Amino acid sequence: MTGLESTLRGIVRSAAPIVIAGQGELITERAGVINLSLDGTIMLSAMTAHVIARETGSLTQAVLAAMLVGMAVAFVVVFSSIALRLSQVAVGFILTILCADLAIFLGKPHFNQPGKEIPHAPIPVLKDIPLLGPVFFDHNILIYLSLLLVVAVLFYIYRTRPGLTLRSIGEQPEAAFVRGTPVQLLRYVYTLAGGALVGLAGATYSLSVKLGWKEDLSGEGWIALAIVIFGLWMPGRVALGAYLIAGLRSVAIDLQDNDVIDLPAQIVNMLPWFLMIITLMIATSGVLEKVVRFTPDRFKPAARRFLRAAPPRALGTPFEKH
Amino acid sequence: MFKKRTLIGLVLILALVLVLALAACGGDDDDEDKTPTPEAAAEEEAAAEEEAVTEEAAAEEEAEAEEEVAAEEEAAEEEAEVAEGEAEEEVAAEEGLTFGVVLVGPKDDHGWSQAHYDAGLYVEENLPGSKMIALESMNSADRPETTLEQVAEDMVSQGAKVIITTSADFEVDTAVVAALYPDVTFIHISGDDVYWGIAPANVGNIMGQMEYGKMIAGCAAALKTETGSIGYVGPLIDPETTRLVNSVYLGARYCYETYREMDPAELKFTVTWIGFWFNIPGVTLDPTEVSNAMLDDGADVLISGIDTTEAIVVASQRAAEGEAVWAIPYDYKGACEEAQDICLGVPYFNWGPAYLGALQAIQDGTWKPAWDWNPPDWDDINNPETTAVGYIYGDGLTDENKTTLDEFIAALAAGAKGEEGGLNLFVGPLNFQDGSVFLEDGQVATPAEIWFMANNVEGAEDPETVNPPQLLEGVEGASE
Repeated sequence: MTGLESTLRGIVRSAAPIVIAGQGELITERAGVINLSLDGTIMLSAMTAHVIARETGSLTQAVLAAMLVGMAVAFVVVFSSIALRLSQVAVGFILTILCADLAIFLGKPHFNQPGKEIPHAPIPVLKDIPLLGPVFFDHNILIYLSLLLVVAVLFYIYRTRPGLTLRSIGEQPEAAFVRGTPVQLLRYVYTLAGGALVGLAGATYSLSVKLGWKEDLSGEGWIALAIVIFGLWMPGRVALGAYLIAGLRSVAIDLQDNDVIDLPAQIVNMLPWFLMIITLMIATSGVLEKVVRFTPDRFKPAARRFLRAAPPRALGTPFEKH
Repeated sequence: MFKKRTLIGLVLILALVLVLALAACGGDDDDEDKTPTPEAAAEEEAAAEEEAVTEEAAAEEEAEAEEEVAAEEEAAEEEAEVAEGEAEEEVAAEEGLTFGVVLVGPKDDHGWSQAHYDAGLYVEENLPGSKMIALESMNSADRPETTLEQVAEDMVSQGAKVIITTSADFEVDTAVVAALYPDVTFIHISGDDVYWGIAPANVGNIMGQMEYGKMIAGCAAALKTETGSIGYVGPLIDPETTRLVNSVYLGARYCYETYREMDPAELKFTVTWIGFWFNIPGVTLDPTEVSNAMLDDGADVLISGIDTTEAIVVASQRAAEGEAVWAIPYDYKGACEEAQDICLGVPYFNWGPAYLGALQAIQDGTWKPAWDWNPPDWDDINNPETTAVGYIYGDGLTDENKTTLDEFIAALAAGAKGEEGGLNLFVGPLNFQDGSVFLEDGQVATPAEIWFMANNVEGAEDPETVNPPQLLEGVEGASE
């Protein structure tokens, strides 16, 4: 394996949890619900996976338990929004703090204990392809899942009928409702599905990327939330954002001993946020509309689709039946 | 309407989350220390009760379970308070010495802080009537609102006559607080205020000569590397960490040349500093990624200089994927347990004897402020009664490796005792990274020169005038 191959391979691996959590949050937000609790949920589910794996020895149970935790938290968010009419942002924020503290408290006896690991499972033949092989086909099942998930979500949202419905309940729930779509039920379903993926992201940390429980996951959930915005609610771009952040972290390590570029690690860590602010400024400034207007007619639809930059219109707002 | 029902629903869900999480908690107290302090006993009871609750919970209504948990927790807290109260009365009644230990991390961190906590227990065992008051996790992330002054006040009010502050971070505060409590003796671990004579008269410094542990680690790495490349995961840059990196490098270079008969100039030795003693997201580099990056760049032995276990975890992960890689953790005797097969051993601190010596002297009234930099017991570096630092071999070493290391340690011992033919690695010619001379040909470093990793420390009267520490020529990595 060359240095480049192993560096890229490392990026694919370390980005996996953010990719998974990002896709989960994207599904949730596309359905019109904001689950702000990611940071706490990831910690709680990572801790749960680590503890269950140690106690039962079963990695399957550990992964499932983590997904259940993610679903339970997501359920609180969507239930309190739909049934109790509470603010999604407020509930999500409270859950962030509660889950993080709960994870630290409950995980204490298992802090810094050797963790279990999802077994390495290189894919025969494919792994021998130069460059692509080591980068994409020399991982464990959770990492493969993170890659497949992006393709699956892309396909589901843009190429299937239920995907169209999903988009419609996040954009114009009233219209969808008039056409007979069970808006509230689907919001439950997609928020729970998203929560399960966030839980899976937590399991990916403690069973694959960081191995064990160390309380130092705080911040990862906010990154996942941010890249959903940075990725403008599009699965491919959200994944790209995750790889970009993992790539920058990898660059930060190499820059330390670089005589030419003398940047402290903290500055490199901040770069994604600058990028994100710039992206948002461009997205909301109307510049993109102008770009679309000046593209030749033939390319206009494609350009419009490519430069689409608006959040789901009904994001964060409760849907009321009239 | 259905307001009431939904409210009950919400309570049920919260209970569900709590119970799920509690079920995940389970009892796992293998590594709890066996010496029951009142605090620990109360904690154990609380844990046991939680377990009981967890088992019951499955059969009960979730909402009830939640209430019960809250109630039980309260009860546990009350018991803990009672226990503490009793402990205080006991202290007042007895003549024994009470001492405070301020820890920077958790007392069971399998690292630096646990080594100090264990030393406190060792004193309690060996100094009749003595009692430790420990405060865990005294750092700005975990206790942003607590000052050392508050901690000292609390410990003194509980009867502490001695306070041991166990992190370089506490150096300035220790001097300030010590001036407020002239009747209490303060021992600051790893500091050098006493060396400079700027500490109040009731402050002493203690440190172990970890340089030797690190030299042995470097030697083990050099014996094992096939790629000729060793990676060091460093914390933050200061004189202590710099001299430890340089010690590893000197040990590695010597053994690569002497025992492997290879050209030391071809040995690649890289250090990457994460920026603190453990991972702080957004502030430090992530040690997991640093470790992976080092292996990606061709290193096959990782040596840890940080307080947490990422290096050995990553190495074990990569070994499971079929790579031939090894790791050397740090700080704590049992650190190899994380992954015995790929562990080449661990250099660790054994603070017990130094603690005991100081506290005994304080109790006897014979203590004098000193800058104590304690050596290993060269007759047996792993003797818990006598040594300040040790090195435990890991299963990654072959018997042949171990024999070679024994030989290396014997040579270091002879050198430290000043015997003929003994080995001293801090002998010139040695240059710093920037090309300046650290030691002239044949010049032997003084303790202060090693401590500060600077060539102008002898004769200096003020720490401000000493050059900043530097890595040695040959080490790849940043010096500042």
